[in-house]
Amino acid sequence: MRAEPTRRLVLAAAGAGSLALAGCKGITLLGSRPKPGAGVVALEHAIAAEELMIGRYRLALAALSSALHTTGKTKAGASDRAVVAGVLAEHREHLAQLRARLVLPPRLATATPRPSPTPPTAPSVRHRILAELATAEAAASDRLIRQLPAVPPALAQLMASIAASEAAHVVQLGYSRLAP
Amino acid sequence: MTGGSQAAPRRGQTKQVVAALQAALAAEQAASYGYGIVGAHLTGARFAAASADVVAHERARDSLTAMIAARGTQPRPAAAAYAMPITVNSAARARALAILLERQVAAAYLGLVAASDPALRQFAADHMRDSAIRWARWGGRPAAFPGLPPSSLRRPG
Repeated sequence: MRAEPTRRLVLAAAGAGSLALAGCKGITLLGSRPKPGAGVVALEHAIAAEELMIGRYRLALAALSSALHTTGKTKAGASDRAVVAGVLAEHREHLAQLRARLVLPPRLATATPRPSPTPPTAPSVRHRILAELATAEAAASDRLIRQLPAVPPALAQLMASIAASEAAHVVQLGYSRLAP
Repeated sequence: MTGGSQAAPRRGQTKQVVAALQAALAAEQAASYGYGIVGAHLTGARFAAASADVVAHERARDSLTAMIAARGTQPRPAAAAYAMPITVNSAARARALAILLERQVAAAYLGLVAASDPALRQFAADHMRDSAIRWARWGGRPAAFPGLPPSSLRRPG
């Protein structure tokens, strides 16, 4: 006799629970942001990579300046600084062009700006600074080319051009350059 | 009927791809010819570099020829001679010509980078990159966007 109301209660509770769960799921589905397309994700990755690269170059520039300050001005040191500053300017142009192509509808746009990735600390020795930048450039160029299949044609052209520029930076930084 | 209406845009795409392949081929043919002039004015390590670069352009030219033929189209033959953008009469002018040739080649692959076929995109992007590397090795002025016409860049902000 006592078992019946208990069973009814359990069934009612189970029904209410599943309705509540279904309701919650519905609300969650309505409230969630739609996933951005593969092209948008690739573009966001490219933007993050450029931000990281700019951070690297800023650190490298600071380290080169401090080396110039402590060891005195040398022709090679000043030339390295000029090359690094020139490449940094090109990365800023890359970033500006990539950002100009990221147009998100309000529902996809994040409310707060994403923090820029923190670059690793620049090494202190001059040639190590340039070698690390060159390695980072080569890796960034490869990564961009791997992302090409996911993006629309016009963005593929921009990303391929940036990948080419980054590969040329390796040469500009003094690696496998033909002496003039 | 449905097959026919779908086939038309596909034919259009193929036509565009073949045109992009032909444009890249024309640039590689001109570069293969031009590097002959470059090499003739260089010696030592620079001559060796020019020789390596001409081989790279000839290989790219042959790949493009095969890709066009594989699409059932006749690859456009190379011209007997090409008018070079500058007169070469010294080692410095030879290097300047090499830089100009590489700039033209990088720009010529841009159409192919826009192809929907991922393998073609990869091929074109790799060759654009190789061209930018050679351009920098020959002492070309750095460019933030090799191959891209300035009109394709957006004003930031």
